[in-house]
Amino acid sequence: MKKFARKALLFATGLLLLLFFTNNFGLIDIQKTAIVTAIGIDAAEEGGFDVTAQIAVPDASGADTASNVTVRGTETVGEAIAELNRKTGWFPTLVHCSLILLGKDTAQENVFRALDYFLRSEYVEDSCLVALCETTAAETLGAGSPIGDLASAAIAKVLSAEAQKTGLVSVTNLRDFAKGYFSEGESGFLPQLSALPQAKSEGGSGGQSGDSGNSSSAGGSGSGKSGGSSDVFDASRTALFVRGQLTALLETEETLAYNLAVSGTDMAFGDVTVYEGDREVIYHLKIDIGKKSQKLQIKGALPVLEFSIRAQAQVVDANKAGTRTEIAATAIVPDHVLRAAEERFEKELRAAADKAHATGCDLFALKQKLHRFHPKEYEALQENLLQDVRITCDIRFETMR
Amino acid sequence: MHKLNVRQICFWLAAVLPVSRLIVYPATLSFRAGNDLLWPALWNLIAEGTVLLLLLLLARRTRRTFFGLLRERAGEAAARMTALLLALFFALAAVLPLLEQRGFVLQILYENVPSFLSFAPLFALLLFAGAQSLRALGRTMDIALPIFALCFMILLLLALPDADFSALLPVFGRGMGEQARTALFSLPWYTGAPCMLCFVGNFEYKEGCAKKVLLAYAIGAAATLSFLAVFYAVFADISFLQHNALAQISKYATALTPLGRIDLLFVIGLTLVLVISACVPVRLCVHCLGEAFGGPRALHAAIVSILLLGVTVLLNPAFREAQTFLSERMWPVFALFGYGLPLLAALFLREKKAHRSHGIEGKTPRKDLSAADRTRAPSPETGRTLRAEN
Repeated sequence: MKKFARKALLFATGLLLLLFFTNNFGLIDIQKTAIVTAIGIDAAEEGGFDVTAQIAVPDASGADTASNVTVRGTETVGEAIAELNRKTGWFPTLVHCSLILLGKDTAQENVFRALDYFLRSEYVEDSCLVALCETTAAETLGAGSPIGDLASAAIAKVLSAEAQKTGLVSVTNLRDFAKGYFSEGESGFLPQLSALPQAKSEGGSGGQSGDSGNSSSAGGSGSGKSGGSSDVFDASRTALFVRGQLTALLETEETLAYNLAVSGTDMAFGDVTVYEGDREVIYHLKIDIGKKSQKLQIKGALPVLEFSIRAQAQVVDANKAGTRTEIAATAIVPDHVLRAAEERFEKELRAAADKAHATGCDLFALKQKLHRFHPKEYEALQENLLQDVRITCDIRFETMR
Repeated sequence: MHKLNVRQICFWLAAVLPVSRLIVYPATLSFRAGNDLLWPALWNLIAEGTVLLLLLLLARRTRRTFFGLLRERAGEAAARMTALLLALFFALAAVLPLLEQRGFVLQILYENVPSFLSFAPLFALLLFAGAQSLRALGRTMDIALPIFALCFMILLLLALPDADFSALLPVFGRGMGEQARTALFSLPWYTGAPCMLCFVGNFEYKEGCAKKVLLAYAIGAAATLSFLAVFYAVFADISFLQHNALAQISKYATALTPLGRIDLLFVIGLTLVLVISACVPVRLCVHCLGEAFGGPRALHAAIVSILLLGVTVLLNPAFREAQTFLSERMWPVFALFGYGLPLLAALFLREKKAHRSHGIEGKTPRKDLSAADRTRAPSPETGRTLRAEN
């Protein structure tokens, strides 16, 4: 009897562990599940926020159909999320939300008025991507996606880690943006996202619509299956923020230079213009960053930011018809092209730094570096650090062997 | 046969004890100490390690349990009163880990918003664990170590690419006063010494045992410090917002993006170790109640489990308040039972040399006595403990 009781107890324990570790007892039919894949936040006319949720509903074939639901005029983002639940019956736990889009108008004030919600909530991953839209977030999420129904999936591809590796986009997730905001420099950056209309396929417009109180559905995307306009997304420009407010915009070339010098970009493509004789020739180079470092030094009470970059380049193309020998030796970059590439890189990097520092954006986290590596000088230098810092660049390009 | 094995104690110190410090503790440390979070943790680890060393010296000189020694020196009433107080302390010490685990399990392992009922089965498991012998508890440590070693290493490796260790600079930026306050307020996470106090006499002390146990503790301490360093290196200024640190540090690994959150597999593995760590104070609470009142172990286990279930339900909506109360108001209690009582026991309950020379207990007499002698003549206290375990 005792043996039986022990076995029964063991069995019960195993069962309870199963219940503890899984939620299989609360099985939900996947086809009746709505998953919030992206949240768009716009500034409402009367203050407050218009919040758009892109909701994916998996169907029997495994594909996702999307609909965008907007809640207008709420005072907080949390209120909008709660209202989404109340009006639609879906409880968006946001575990699968991998993208937060901010409308351009939200950046006129501190964007952390809206982003705070995602940092407070344990049910939202701070690994989700964040971007600023050129127009409104609702419009961007309503754009046609070239890769299916979900615009958020297409945007996430543009903002992927692979895009960051090629230096075309300064990808930022919520954690990194918040780290910058709460750091000594109170600065950060976000990629600026633009939807560029590309093609119009046959068939009706996609998406679903429906009103519920002050909720309304924007046109969902749907070029993939149902036809309609198809957009591509560009995020090659970078918006700079100080204390959560938009202050400046880095252009594509400046973004590339910043990424090559500072962030996790190791390989990129860029154009270099040189004069050969009296003719302007544009070389398209593949750039492979070998070593890069940035160091803040205090030299005679003056802060100096030193960039040291070693890169290898290869000619990918040029806007002139090459001779047979030139095409055969395409990997070899002429010396004057390498020097021109170094100059171009330095020029764009300095332009990015000047633009950021002029608006008070600590793009290179100088105050953080000063605090961490020169704590004794921090109090004295931090006030005018961005104005006083001198930038030196040691950039060398070589032919890729 | 119902005694713990030294190996199991080593595994407890190396794998189970550190895991209980990986949920809310890192965020609490960084809230007060910022980038200096390693130092208050180090002070506490050194203090706990020192008390453990003294307890090991006590165990070396006696084969009796703590309560057995207390009965001999201070009498039955004092021993029972101390056992009751220790039982209350273990019940108190179990509250914060349970509340931490409740939040962790419900927020990390579920995609929807589950009710408390999803977590309630843990208390049935605690009842089961409480009703088992210490030896059974020890066996769970054998399971815990390989799970911990594998899962912990993988989670740390996944987090490393996102770690910027310069975030830990400048050293001592917050000042010693703040570090001392942080160390005191984090005492609820340092309850290893009173547990070891209850293990004294319940494991067979062998030559070189202290070295092994201390090495295991050092490994556990190194694991805790490495985790804290990586945690702050990943999150820097927003680390105090990361309440479920164990599940947070590795989620940014880009290699996992196409696969989804595969790191959750290892997080779930460590959740199993967390469950084992929650069983330890509960089982020792039952042990102390047995010493205080006698009676069936299952009854004590039921009382403790129901009490903890009630407290957890009561504090379910007020985790922050409970945590603040336990760490900022109750730290003297944790200091007294966590360090004070084990220290006093280690210093004043040591067997006198005169006793040892008469071959009662201790390292030297054990060498003199044959194994047969030792098994033939157990001390009354040891015998009582074994009967209680049976």
